[in-house]
Amino acid sequence: MLFDETTLRKLDRLALVASQVRAGVMKGERRSTKRGTSIEFADYRDYVRGDDLRRVDWNVFARLERPFIKLLEEEEDLAVHVLVDASRSMDFGAGPEAGAAETHKFRYAQRLAAALGYIALAAGDRLTVSVLQGAEPVAQFGPSRGRGHALRLIRFLEDQTPAGTTVLDEALRVYALGARRPGLAFLLSDLFAPDGYESGLGQFLSRGYEVSVLHVLAPEELDPPLAGDLKLIDAETGAPQDITLDGGLRDLYRRRVLAWRDEIEAYCLKRRITYVPVTTDLAWDELVLSQLRERGLIK
Amino acid sequence: MSFLAPLALALSALALPILVLYMLKLRRREVEVSSVMLWQKLLRDREANAPWQRLRRNLLLLLQLLLLALLVVALARPFLRVPVVASGAVIILLDASASMQATDIAPSRFEAARAAVRQLIDGLTAGSRMTLIRVGLQPEVLAAGADDKETLRAALARAEAAPTPADWEAAFALAAGAVRGARLDESIVVIVSDGGLPDDLPPLPGEIRYVPVGAVADNVAVAALSVRPAPGGPQLFARVANYGDGDRTVIVSILQGGQLFSAQQLDVPAGGSADLVLADLPDAASVYAARLSAPDADEAAGLDALPLDDTAWAVYQPPTSGRALVISPGNLFLEQMLTALPGLQPFRLLPGAAPPDEAFDLYVLDSVTQTAALPEAELLWVNPLSSTLFTVGEVFTNTQLRRVAPDDPLTRYLDWGAVHILQARRVEVPTWARVLVEAEGGPLVFAGETGGRRVAVITFRLQDSDLPLQLAFPVLMSNLIEYLAPAQAFSAPDGLRPGQTLTIKPHGGDRAIAIDDPDGERFQAAATEAGVLFTDSDKLGVYTVVSNQAVLGAFAVNLFDPAESAIRPQLNIRVGRAEVGATPQAEIGQFEIWPWIAAAAFVILLIEWWTYHRGATLPALPGWRGLFKRKKSAA
Repeated sequence: MLFDETTLRKLDRLALVASQVRAGVMKGERRSTKRGTSIEFADYRDYVRGDDLRRVDWNVFARLERPFIKLLEEEEDLAVHVLVDASRSMDFGAGPEAGAAETHKFRYAQRLAAALGYIALAAGDRLTVSVLQGAEPVAQFGPSRGRGHALRLIRFLEDQTPAGTTVLDEALRVYALGARRPGLAFLLSDLFAPDGYESGLGQFLSRGYEVSVLHVLAPEELDPPLAGDLKLIDAETGAPQDITLDGGLRDLYRRRVLAWRDEIEAYCLKRRITYVPVTTDLAWDELVLSQLRERGLIK
Repeated sequence: MSFLAPLALALSALALPILVLYMLKLRRREVEVSSVMLWQKLLRDREANAPWQRLRRNLLLLLQLLLLALLVVALARPFLRVPVVASGAVIILLDASASMQATDIAPSRFEAARAAVRQLIDGLTAGSRMTLIRVGLQPEVLAAGADDKETLRAALARAEAAPTPADWEAAFALAAGAVRGARLDESIVVIVSDGGLPDDLPPLPGEIRYVPVGAVADNVAVAALSVRPAPGGPQLFARVANYGDGDRTVIVSILQGGQLFSAQQLDVPAGGSADLVLADLPDAASVYAARLSAPDADEAAGLDALPLDDTAWAVYQPPTSGRALVISPGNLFLEQMLTALPGLQPFRLLPGAAPPDEAFDLYVLDSVTQTAALPEAELLWVNPLSSTLFTVGEVFTNTQLRRVAPDDPLTRYLDWGAVHILQARRVEVPTWARVLVEAEGGPLVFAGETGGRRVAVITFRLQDSDLPLQLAFPVLMSNLIEYLAPAQAFSAPDGLRPGQTLTIKPHGGDRAIAIDDPDGERFQAAATEAGVLFTDSDKLGVYTVVSNQAVLGAFAVNLFDPAESAIRPQLNIRVGRAEVGATPQAEIGQFEIWPWIAAAAFVILLIEWWTYHRGATLPALPGWRGLFKRKKSAA
């Protein structure tokens, strides 16, 4: 059971905390620069194919015989996008049957997504949760607003299973290009993407998203309990890699993982992306309550 | 350590393909990881030295390389040079002749040879069999095809040298038989000797090795000693031979009956000899000994290396003649014949006359009626009229020859065909006697032993036949007298060589013969008609023959063998057409150690197999991991 009774109670408490926090801080203070579908007029622009015909200003069309789209001022409800990487590489770590410490990455990501979504719903934000698999999002929850959707969110998340490969870069790009309201975007992934993720994230940034990367890694990936002559099999591609692992090489790997995280962090810092390295042996509610707040993701 | 097949070491190049194959195919544990992305990046840095990383600490590969190394070394057939090692069928010919008793190598050459053979036994490889032949006068197989070293050592310990020459031809025949009987591909005949082998030995199958023993050639020997009757008295002749490289001066002491009789100094040139003659010796039976000694009395080391031939013995027996008493009314033929026979001195007595008091060796009764008890002596009875020994019957005239006993020493050379007899007396042949000549009417000549005396009977008057005119008469008389009154119990005027046999014929009543050898050991023998064949003459010295507590005589056994006295060690021997050189002991054997290396390789193979199935590499050994875990938990 992914979301048992205790977890749900924790989520409730989180939502409570979040709504209190958001209620005082956000009201009237934050004015979006984004344009949307409110009733307050902002500007016109030329019609391009695919635009909603309902938003064509027929009066202007009658006068100028050219279709214009009426652009309106965005309302101050925040769009929250939670993107969960559901590739096979996320299906890693000790499951619930393994004993005390559960370090399974995808389950961790599911809980984290639930927590973030819960908070967003509770705060009255517009929540979209997408599951990334292959080169595009395969499942989507929302956009939804309001606490009433919390149970549905949980069910949606529970239904997801990690499978296949994820071309993270492409999936992010496809998602960003979709006509959506930009807002906060949380990417929950292990970032094991040989093709990179930079251009995908760039698409988000260029569309005005505020991007946070929650880099989920299992402790087994930081310090692999391996030794000897091994044939490592890639969980996603099945690609083998022969290796003779001894103490020296393990040390080197440990240093290399940390360096990799530093590398990502440096990249994110440069682009004002919030980077949170997450190790799955850290309790997820603690992560949400303390670490994410410290970093300003939750106020 | 050296190699018999060093080219095989080139096979160690096989290590290269093993290394290559090993790098190509390493058995790896498959582990699923979330992504190999990081690992690939990691390995890219270490690609350059990665193969050597793989090799490092890899037990399997190390074992395989070790296995290869061992196999290659084993194929190269390494060997150790050990003093004496032989394998396969090993036939040892151990010289046990007189010259092997030379003491130029302490304690003796034979002991040195024994030590060499013991080393051979110690070095005997597994699966090899050894035949041990002691080469003496009669070669003797001490151990035949034995593979048990204890048996061989015990057999070797039994072997002793004898003062006899060696019969190498018989030994070679035994060795050849042993080689054929061994049925092993490899056979080595090792001759342990000081040389002195005859030059015309037949070739032997198998490889022949020769281990010479002996160091010096110096030896002076009594080459001959004899005492012969001469007109003025017996004459003693001695010859001293020098087989060494330098001229020698020796003192020859002649002892008579154990007492010093004469001593002379003789100069003996190198390789030559010197003679000594003593004339006019006392004409009595006596034992003479000739003993060589060094002129310098302080020379404690002795005269030479072989003391065996420094003393010789001779027995002088004055010629004897048996005394015969002929009781006869007068028989010219008989008297003349007895006078003519050698070794017999006849005396004549008329029938009825009182016999003289002295005893005679032989009584000849001619046409006599027995009146008194017969004397305790041999009897020749011609034409008996009455007797207590047998029943005398009527005269018969049917004297046609029926048969002459064949294969009897008493009828040897006897041709009865031309003999004619007028009449003879019918005598019932007693059970103790055998018929020599038989006519149709009854026996003509018979002989036998009764009451401790030998008796021969001719049943007709010589005057009633033409026998005295025939050639058969001296032949018959000679045979009978030889039977009744043998001149001596045995004849060995020149003594014997060791191992020679002697026939001893005791006098009529003497059934038990005893012979005392030089050490005082007594041999008992029961004499048959043909006498006693004495064969235990393998000690040097004087043997005494005793019968009925009386000494019959004595004979001497001397070495007198130039081949044995010439103790110069031979460096080469000739076998068949091949010259076999001396094999220095240090190089006689090559102890191959490849079986041990192959065994080690097998063990390594087992370990490798075990390791493979454990899938072990050093750090991943479960035992080790457990060890670390325990340590951690303890901490």
